[in-house]
Amino acid sequence: MNRASQQPATLEPVAVPRASTRGGLPLSQTFVIAWRAILGNPLRSILTALGVIIGVGAVIALTSLGSGATSGIQAQLAGLGTNLISVSSGQARQGGPPGLVRGGGSPTITVGDVKAIAALEGVAGVAPTVQKGVQIKAGSENTSSTVIGTYPAYETVRNSAVETGTWFTDNDLTGRKRVAVIGYQVEQDLFVGADALGQKFKIAGVSFTVIGIMPDKGNSGFASPNGNVFVPLTTYQQRLAAQTSSSGEQTVQSISIQGATKEGVTDLQNRITELLSVRHKKPTPDEYDFNVQNQADLLSSVNQITTILTLFLGGVAGISLLVGGIGIMNIMLVSVTERTREIGIRKALGAKPRDILTQFLVEAMVLSIGGGAIGILIGLALAFGGGRLVNITPVVSTGSIILAFTFSAGVGIFFGYYPASRAAKLDPVESLRYE
Amino acid sequence: MGVLELTEITKTYAMGELEFQALKGVSLKIDAGEMVALMGPSGSGKTTMMQIIGLLDRPSSGTYFLRGADVTTLSENQRSEARNLSIGFVFQAFHLLSRQNILENVEVPLMYAGLPARERRDRAMTLLEKVGLADKWRNLPSQISGGQKQRVAVARALTMSPAILLADEPTGNLDSRTAVEIMALFQELNDEGTTVIVVTHEPDIGDHCKRVVRLRDGSLESDTINPSPHRAVPMGMGFMTQIPVVNS
Repeated sequence: MNRASQQPATLEPVAVPRASTRGGLPLSQTFVIAWRAILGNPLRSILTALGVIIGVGAVIALTSLGSGATSGIQAQLAGLGTNLISVSSGQARQGGPPGLVRGGGSPTITVGDVKAIAALEGVAGVAPTVQKGVQIKAGSENTSSTVIGTYPAYETVRNSAVETGTWFTDNDLTGRKRVAVIGYQVEQDLFVGADALGQKFKIAGVSFTVIGIMPDKGNSGFASPNGNVFVPLTTYQQRLAAQTSSSGEQTVQSISIQGATKEGVTDLQNRITELLSVRHKKPTPDEYDFNVQNQADLLSSVNQITTILTLFLGGVAGISLLVGGIGIMNIMLVSVTERTREIGIRKALGAKPRDILTQFLVEAMVLSIGGGAIGILIGLALAFGGGRLVNITPVVSTGSIILAFTFSAGVGIFFGYYPASRAAKLDPVESLRYE
Repeated sequence: MGVLELTEITKTYAMGELEFQALKGVSLKIDAGEMVALMGPSGSGKTTMMQIIGLLDRPSSGTYFLRGADVTTLSENQRSEARNLSIGFVFQAFHLLSRQNILENVEVPLMYAGLPARERRDRAMTLLEKVGLADKWRNLPSQISGGQKQRVAVARALTMSPAILLADEPTGNLDSRTAVEIMALFQELNDEGTTVIVVTHEPDIGDHCKRVVRLRDGSLESDTINPSPHRAVPMGMGFMTQIPVVNS
């Protein structure tokens, strides 16, 4: 029998929802169409989204590492000690953020300066430092370390108590004893599994005895205090390296000074500046060959640097997202041209301009939001992978993730709108004829 | 009242400085259940006429009533809706969506009508059965023959139970045997009550229609009733199931 003739003579008319209630193409269906179009050309879709992927990935990775580094530095600064003032050679850079010091030149702070500062009223402790990186050895083990020559007051001034053993004393200082307080990492590296106290080790060929071991100070990724070795300043100058000023006086690289009271710190800072100005015969700030800072200055300069860094990263992020958005717009325009006939067919079958507009807008948004999501994952992977390499624990803020995500969605809408409206406005006659 | 009534339709195209009048005042009334061939050589205005009947284009002057309603001044959105509800297109180049399988292609008009997925699927499947391609519903358009593509297009055109089935050179891309199949399908649909308009320049195809309207140089040349339209296949042969399927 004829199968076709078994069908009803004509189909019942479609029960179309009344005109006033017709919503046109449901949004879920629009997503399906967009998803098909994206999967239809996977390589091109990935390349289109790549700009957003890279932009968002870079933002997430860099901001996470940046805030990780910042919080590391801030913790370190907070651990430096209380009421701290530091004096260093060189001159504060004019116009730049406070704390950026013009380096170079020979040290200008002398041991005489140290003694003069120590005699000032309101000084609780003075710890001059000289330091250099050297190779240290114990038996067959060796490691690189920063050796710091200082006074016993370093312990209190710089908040650096030992965990076991003791700090060296004034007697050790005057007697130029070869004794050392070592950092946690130095102990781990040199005296594997053995009690380090009382053991001998060599700094640049000179034998020293371990009398104190510092606790684990954590690892912030920058010059870690765990790798330090502290020796009496006098021993350092006699045995390891001595630097002298042009007048032949022995010099130090910096001085850490602890004020007796918190309120007196600013006054003390001013008096130290005045004292050095007189001693160095440099009457005006322009001529200063030294730099006096207190802890608050340091913190604010760090904060200023990180603010600049954040703005810079924000700029990079903005530019790369802009480039990504232009990439999406470019490909969407090509895609609209390529699919002119599809648009014509859809219009002939009943698609309204708005249906076509949403279809292409949703496609651009899926690309950019998808790119944003992939970018966030890649950014997190980079932050944690890279953080491991440079010893920074990345701090991931949900704020930056939400921001990156919204931004990429916004980019999709902004840059997808023009191509989509071009598609929506296409004339059905022209587009059906398009080859 | 006819299904469609066009009165004094003109269409003028601006071609740079020059103006070209494609239609010079054509009136045409088609009743429900007719099967009309719209014929004429190229440049006669038959394609323009088809586009105006199909609401793809607007006339420069004249009136057009479709199913009793004036559609001359509809907005862009309203014309989309009217095309969706009242016109079933069959094109020379099939115009199927290449990324969608044939069932989804048949569903497209129902989708824009806002029908729920289940209803769409059931209805599209019924139509595919009617054109004998239900078992191929998963195939992409690239995986079926030209004749099959055109049958999918016919199924798609019928999903909304349109007032007219408007076919523009439907056999232009088909070999003569397949062309006969498609004409047989149109005749069968017409027998069941569907109003069919076939735009063609081939006299063979026109011979299959009950009424032949000829255009020449933008004007109506003749409008004749064909007393004995040529049947594509003898009645009762059930060709849909008996004709060997190409490329299977």
